[in-house]
Amino acid sequence: MSDTAEVTRVDAPTRAGALRRVAAERWRWIVLAALFAAACYAPFQLVPFRVFQFTMVLVYAVALLGLNLLVGHAGQISLGHGAFFAVGAYGAAIMLDRFELPYPVTLPIAAAVAFVIGLALGLPAMRLRGLYLALVTLAMAIFLVPLLKRFEEVTGGSMGLTLPKPAPPAWTGLAEDQWLYFLALAVAVAAFLSAYSLMRSRVGRALHAIRDNEAAAETMGVRLSFYKTLAFAWSAMFAGAAGCVYTWVIGFVSPDSFAVTLSITLLAGLVVGGLGSLSGPLLGGLFVMFVPSISQDVNEAAPGVIFGLLIIAVMYVAPTGLAGLTGRAAHSIRKTLRKE
Amino acid sequence: MSALVVTDLHAGYGDARVLHGVSLSVGEGEVCAILGPNGAGKTTLLRALSGMVRTRGTVRLGDADLAGRSPDTIARQGVAHVPEGRGTFMPLTVEENLRLGAYVRPASRRARAEVDADLERIHGYFPVLKTRLRQAAGSLSGGEQQMLAIGRALMLRPRLLLLDEPSLGLAPLVTRELFRIVRTINEQERTTVVVVEQNAHLALGIAQQAHVLETGRIVLSGTAEQIRADEQVAQSYLGYRV
Amino acid sequence: MTGFLQQLVQGLGAGAIYASLALALVLIYQFTGIVNFAQGELAMFSTYLAWQFTAAGMPFWLALALTLAVSFAGGMLIERLVIRPVEGAPELTVVIVTVGLFIFVNAAAGWIWTFLIKDFPNPFPGGALEAGGLRVSYSTLGVLVVVGLVMGLLYLLFQHTRIGLGMRAVATNPDSARLVGIRVGWTLALGWGLAATVGAVSGVLVAPLLFLEPNMMGGVLIYAFAAATLGGFDSPVGAVVGGLIVGVAETLAGAYVGFIGSDLKVGVPLVIILGVLLLRPQGLFGRAAVERA
Repeated sequence: MSDTAEVTRVDAPTRAGALRRVAAERWRWIVLAALFAAACYAPFQLVPFRVFQFTMVLVYAVALLGLNLLVGHAGQISLGHGAFFAVGAYGAAIMLDRFELPYPVTLPIAAAVAFVIGLALGLPAMRLRGLYLALVTLAMAIFLVPLLKRFEEVTGGSMGLTLPKPAPPAWTGLAEDQWLYFLALAVAVAAFLSAYSLMRSRVGRALHAIRDNEAAAETMGVRLSFYKTLAFAWSAMFAGAAGCVYTWVIGFVSPDSFAVTLSITLLAGLVVGGLGSLSGPLLGGLFVMFVPSISQDVNEAAPGVIFGLLIIAVMYVAPTGLAGLTGRAAHSIRKTLRKE
Repeated sequence: MSALVVTDLHAGYGDARVLHGVSLSVGEGEVCAILGPNGAGKTTLLRALSGMVRTRGTVRLGDADLAGRSPDTIARQGVAHVPEGRGTFMPLTVEENLRLGAYVRPASRRARAEVDADLERIHGYFPVLKTRLRQAAGSLSGGEQQMLAIGRALMLRPRLLLLDEPSLGLAPLVTRELFRIVRTINEQERTTVVVVEQNAHLALGIAQQAHVLETGRIVLSGTAEQIRADEQVAQSYLGYRV
Repeated sequence: MTGFLQQLVQGLGAGAIYASLALALVLIYQFTGIVNFAQGELAMFSTYLAWQFTAAGMPFWLALALTLAVSFAGGMLIERLVIRPVEGAPELTVVIVTVGLFIFVNAAAGWIWTFLIKDFPNPFPGGALEAGGLRVSYSTLGVLVVVGLVMGLLYLLFQHTRIGLGMRAVATNPDSARLVGIRVGWTLALGWGLAATVGAVSGVLVAPLLFLEPNMMGGVLIYAFAAATLGGFDSPVGAVVGGLIVGVAETLAGAYVGFIGSDLKVGVPLVIILGVLLLRPQGLFGRAAVERA
């Protein structure tokens, strides 16, 4: 989003404009590198509880990255992404619990399972406008909880499943919380890089075209249902991967952790973080993690009130969310720096 | 005595400005034809008069200034606009469409009797509508829908009737019939009419005066005879040399 | 056989409740092309109001009347304050705003009345009407009568009043409605007010059957979505018929398909929505979908 805004603001398509864009790009990589360095350094400075919280931020960020592909880039609405998150989480839990697979193996399998389910559900839903997708995904998320409770022998029913957390290898010298943090960080970085390259590819351009104008995209030869279904499956895959890491980190799954509230909170986090931008999911992850934990002391309902109001406010004043605002701020800072 | 006086009217959509200072006046009970090529701003002029686009300038109808008012307020002032595409309420019945035209008229017992009388009068102009009263308006033919749109506009008992391309998409015979009825209406009801029309020949046939619009400005004004006699107009819009 | 009829009647009772919430959804969709994801939560909030009024000692029917009046005003206010600023925005934006409203109203109810369940008084007498071996509880009967009454009033409003005609005109062609002098903005607000009122009826009817709590309407909303999808989102008649079918289907599936039982019944609307989208996307009574530009 911020890219396009910058392009239109450049007065003429001159060499200077192109250079400026290259410079902005370089700045972005410098910021990212600094962020990554800080992310690697943080767990050695924070108490275990904080490390755990940031681990969860990364987990949510991966899920939001997937949701962002669908909502922010393809313009389709999912109100049930918690269900794919749950598929990944339960998939990993069952693989660890029943088949005692080594935990690194669970990640690709959980992601693949979520992808396939996303594909299967996306096929019928994507033939129609985004509205119906929202209905189907919401119905799916509501249906999931009783379904998980029913198949007790596999899922542990209402009691859920408790699992051992991945132990840090001795050579790393890391504590458990730090090791889990780095696992989540590795998955998050991989997810960010693949989402980034995906958006730069032909597929990304097709999705943007669909978001901006479905009818026009179709006349330009974009196969609507194909790309929309694909975007849905991919976003399910990211959510599934996030769910898998969730199981590693928490060591426990139960149906009520994946109630429809989770799906709606994910969408809320993404909207507030920023639709269609790369940093939106990360900011959204921070939001999903910290807003409830900070505001819950005031009232049990406070996070909901805050999220509800913020979503509406964001859609009114800043449809690109926090990411858009920081992007705009960065832009104006660069501009004032140049002037001096 | 002029019924409608437009002064220095500007209008557009977003950043795109379409009208650049149009001024004209139409006498009470007269028909005024607006001619011009595609994209000249004819439709926008009508939309500006009925409040459907943002405007700058003044539009006086009798004593009231209409500029900047909302479409529903302007309709309540007695301006009936038959829009491009006819504005039919497709799933509603023909009768419901007609009654909607009288929506803003008072709901007293006497007024309702008047509305019923008007309905009868409109059946007089357009007998075909009477046979279709209970039918969904969307099932009418193009010509019938145009008649319905004009009938709906008359149900307002308008002081000013705006007609946008009544001939669009209709067979020549139907169009000619339609213009004959518009002339009858104008003569019998003394309604002031502004008609935008591609078919300059027909429009000039019922108009007392005409204006030629090009790229948002009036480039030529005069009586219908003067415009018809103008060589350039003849070449551009009438398709023959004088 | 009697057992089957028994289930059928029970299904119709449930279906009537879904129908009224579906009707609320359809009302708003017709006017604005918006599916209001917060409709169930608004109904839940109204139900809390009714509970509050009765808890304050008001007789039930007076409390209901007051609740419906407040809901009507609240619906209009929400349209003016929350929805108006995003009128004409992309569908995604509008849907997200209604989801924001969903979260906010849900949490606000939790804040005011806590998340603990409350008993909601049943306005209908216990016991049942027995005829030919068939037992129809007064509660089910009452639901059917109330919903029938609401439908009847709406029908009169839309088909036989000037305001109703104006509302239908706005729903089919807002630009043209403006040109005949209808105040479209107020009509849209009126639509939201009506929808909130009809939704409130569904909340008040369902609360005695479930328990009153902030998440009460989540499940009902899904059934109402299924009903509206089945009937066609642009057809009020469809919403009613769809609601009754969904209610019956759910009850029969729960009673006769052993695997489904009472816990997996909430899968029925999902199956119905998917089935309708695949076989007849416009629904039973809907007009074939026309893309809104």
